[in-house]
Amino acid sequence: MKNLLFLGLVLFLFACNLTKDVQIKLPDYSQQPVVECYLEPGKPFRLLLSRSYSFFDPFGLDSSFIQKTVIQGATITISYDGKTIQVPNILSIEANPVKLFNYTATEIVPATVGTEYILNITLPDGGGNITGRTQMVKPVPIDSIVVQWSPDIDSLARALTYITDDTKTTDYYRRLLNYSTLDSFPQQDFLAPDRISTTALVAFGTGYELKEGDTIFNTIYHIEKPYYDYLESVQLSIAANFNPFAQPSTIKSNVTGSANPLGIFTTLVYDRDTTIIKK
Amino acid sequence: MKQNPILICGLLLQVFSLTAQNTTTVSGSLKDAQNGETLIGATVEAIGLQKGNVSNEYGFYSLSVPINNDSITLRFSYVGYTPIYKKVLPTGPVKLNITLSSAGSVLNEVEVRANGYREKVRSTEMSVMTLTTKEAKALPALFGEVDIIKILQLKPGIASGSEGTTGLFVRGGNSDQNLIVLDEAVVYNANHLFGFFSTFNSDAVKDVKVYKGGFPAQYGGRLSSVIDVRMKEGNNQKFSGSGGLGLISSRLTLEGPIQKGKSSFVVSGRRTYADIITRAINKANEGKADYNPIPDYYFYDLNTKINFTLGPKDRLFLSGYFGRDVFTFKNETFNFLFDWGNTTGTARWNHVFGPKLFANTTFTFSDYRYRIQNILQGFSFKLGSNVKDANTKVDFFYQPSNAHSIRFGANVTYHDFVVGRLKAGSNDGRVNFEAGQNFNGMEYGLYFADEWAISNALKVNYGGRISAWSNNPAFYANFEPRISANYTFNNNFSFKASYARMNQYVHLLASSGLSLPTDIWYPSTKGIKPEKSDQVAIGTTYLIGNKVLITWEAWYKWLQNSVDFVDGAEIFGSKNIEGELTIGRGYAYSPLELEIEKKDGRLTGWIGYTLSWVRRGRYPDINNGAYFPTRFDTRHNISVVALYSISKRLQLTATWIYTSGYTSWLPSGRMSFQDMQGAPLNLVVPVYGPRNTFRVPPYIRADLGVVWKFRTRHLENDLTLSVYNASNRRNPYFIYLDVATQKGDPVDFVTGIKAKQVSLFPVLPSLTWNFKF
Repeated sequence: MKNLLFLGLVLFLFACNLTKDVQIKLPDYSQQPVVECYLEPGKPFRLLLSRSYSFFDPFGLDSSFIQKTVIQGATITISYDGKTIQVPNILSIEANPVKLFNYTATEIVPATVGTEYILNITLPDGGGNITGRTQMVKPVPIDSIVVQWSPDIDSLARALTYITDDTKTTDYYRRLLNYSTLDSFPQQDFLAPDRISTTALVAFGTGYELKEGDTIFNTIYHIEKPYYDYLESVQLSIAANFNPFAQPSTIKSNVTGSANPLGIFTTLVYDRDTTIIKK
Repeated sequence: MKQNPILICGLLLQVFSLTAQNTTTVSGSLKDAQNGETLIGATVEAIGLQKGNVSNEYGFYSLSVPINNDSITLRFSYVGYTPIYKKVLPTGPVKLNITLSSAGSVLNEVEVRANGYREKVRSTEMSVMTLTTKEAKALPALFGEVDIIKILQLKPGIASGSEGTTGLFVRGGNSDQNLIVLDEAVVYNANHLFGFFSTFNSDAVKDVKVYKGGFPAQYGGRLSSVIDVRMKEGNNQKFSGSGGLGLISSRLTLEGPIQKGKSSFVVSGRRTYADIITRAINKANEGKADYNPIPDYYFYDLNTKINFTLGPKDRLFLSGYFGRDVFTFKNETFNFLFDWGNTTGTARWNHVFGPKLFANTTFTFSDYRYRIQNILQGFSFKLGSNVKDANTKVDFFYQPSNAHSIRFGANVTYHDFVVGRLKAGSNDGRVNFEAGQNFNGMEYGLYFADEWAISNALKVNYGGRISAWSNNPAFYANFEPRISANYTFNNNFSFKASYARMNQYVHLLASSGLSLPTDIWYPSTKGIKPEKSDQVAIGTTYLIGNKVLITWEAWYKWLQNSVDFVDGAEIFGSKNIEGELTIGRGYAYSPLELEIEKKDGRLTGWIGYTLSWVRRGRYPDINNGAYFPTRFDTRHNISVVALYSISKRLQLTATWIYTSGYTSWLPSGRMSFQDMQGAPLNLVVPVYGPRNTFRVPPYIRADLGVVWKFRTRHLENDLTLSVYNASNRRNPYFIYLDVATQKGDPVDFVTGIKAKQVSLFPVLPSLTWNFKF
């Protein structure tokens, strides 16, 4: 509802050209380290350690800005099942779309459900420490994808994606829907807690907007509550900057420590299905 | 020892009766001769005896005079009406119903009615104001849509929400802390179109009385203000009508006698018509591949009232309101309906027990609901909330002597809440989501107040209210002392002081600080205690030359158990809304709330100024418990309202507003969030620090208006030209931080970051035609 209201407002303002640049002074801000670490089974242990900025601090126009943004020289370990592995300061890049990690280990994340992982980071130059904790959750498979053709326009279809939720536990999901290619901008990216579901079956839909031959990528992530809270707070923060009807939120990180960090340390499990729309 | 309050009231009545053995009473009602409307606050004086009184909100008056075999002369007067004099022989109780005729001057059409200035100087009431629809109609308005609630925003001590909206933030209170009643029925959401217009159709409203503090004991249930809206009663002398065509809506009101002089009706309707135009545009573009249909939106109101004089001692009023906003949208993905609105009903019975005792018994019903639904083939989504009240109250007015005016009474309200009821899923039931909570509660009030004229100079209004709330298993009971005093130094100057405690048992959960129809009313429970406020105020009233009234007040307000959301709260789909709430405290104060008011002569109007501070804090989950300014903590508020009558037919009007910038919660930092595989990189995620640390630029606006009155064969007409924001100033609506990016390799680069100010309304001229017959 707020989005619809906001859309109407944007259209009105655009028509009236009632936006102008202003000079303002924002409150003082102290930089914070930012952690992004996703433990994805079958992928190496890796993370991105960067720093936040005051809002109006200048951006760089080239890769030197990235160099300035990432924090190098930290000592990072991840412990699980009585083992502790070092995550050295080695850059790795994953393509399509590009994801950077400035700390990469050679060890691969196991898929064992229930394993608890503990992150420890010591920042260089006495910058303090960061800790985090997460647990491997079980993937929830996509049961089926049902394509239904519009009763009004016979060239358009919708796709319904079904999963079976465990009604005995409180679960959180993130659904990503990409059209054409996996690295395209997601058509849908939303969070879905199961707390209001009264049935085991959960459906994710699309509008009647698909044509014969379209390819869609459905990804259902089964996520932990701290990751859900983090994502939601990030989405609220982004939305509130542009939408006067939205309430801002502080970032709900699940990493803590003397370095006063922001960020997320979580496991990442999902099921993905690629569907070509056919009559 | 338990004491029976009814017994105590009875004993008090006897005591006061004993004090008045040598006097008799002249009593009756005061009405407008032309249409039979009751006159509230009209003055009756016994010439030469220095005794006087005013009619109450039901037009009833009672004046004690010494028993005498010689006749005395009474003067009945009311601002804008020709006074009349009546001789009576006070050998025993005299019943005298009076009708006053309007002075008939067009110059008097625009006026702040309320009590006469002298009565204002003498009255113990402080922090109170009354506005009539006549006044609202003369002033320039957004899109020409007259709105009496928006006029209140021009008064000192009342901050508006944001540009163009009807939100009222009274003396540092939140918008839900206003008790808004329409003919005594609570209106839970007094807004149309997301707050740009109020639910009150100016043609149906008679007047509005607002208490900002010094609350009389008969009112309770909200912390910061009472906004008492009275509907017209209907012309009991002749059939008449009025209406208007505006840029946004049209209005029509019909009124007349059912039985001449004894009973009357009024029916008033209003509807917007933007949807008629948008439907035509959609139809013209039907079938075009790249055309996106414009959603349908409209709102409408219907007010009705009938009143009957059942006999010399009894009157019956029945009134109702029904209003809805409707928003619909349909395409391949949506079959969307969003509607919301209020329904109220009031049945009121006035009974005169005798010349000194008058009673009013009222039954009211209130309902506010919203509904959002999207129904697609095989699936549906429905979300709604609802609050319903059924209220019974009885109020007694007892005047044992001119030195005492006593009010006492009781009320019981049943509340029913449906909070965030959500049902979604497939029609075959295989997929189903449900959320929401139901509550009910009982609210009780018992009050007593005596306005005691201790001497010619000193008057005190003392009393109290016992309020209680039960919502199994929660039960709360509170005593709310109320006292106000007036010391009149001379006819032109008085000093006033007041103290009032209020409790609020229902809370509006509003996530944005702006009024939205989806805001949820939530009851007090075991976990959510009643909100509480204490307000003290002092002030002076100074009348210069019978024409200019200067009112100064200073006040301090303490708030306890204030309810707010934790950061990132989820309201919809939450099974435990209380887990999303946090409880804190607050305070607000003003050393200077000033109004200079002039209502006689060609030039009328007022200047208001408020200097105030508003803070909230001690929330465990917000700002680490530190105090912070609220969004509407605007330091300086100045309003200038001027109406100048060039002739009987032509009037110029102007308003000018200056408000210090409101506070805004802007991010102080930023971080990048590359997210996981398949999701896009966010180069800039705002990082928010402490709340409301940024202050936007000041809000300054000038509006101009011209009212031209003319007669045609069957109609009295006026054309009102309004120019909203005449200087075309770009006032801040909100500020956001914009980031420009450029495609790069391997990632996009940010090329610029700047603050942008969004304004809502440029200069907006509008023309409205109003007519009467």
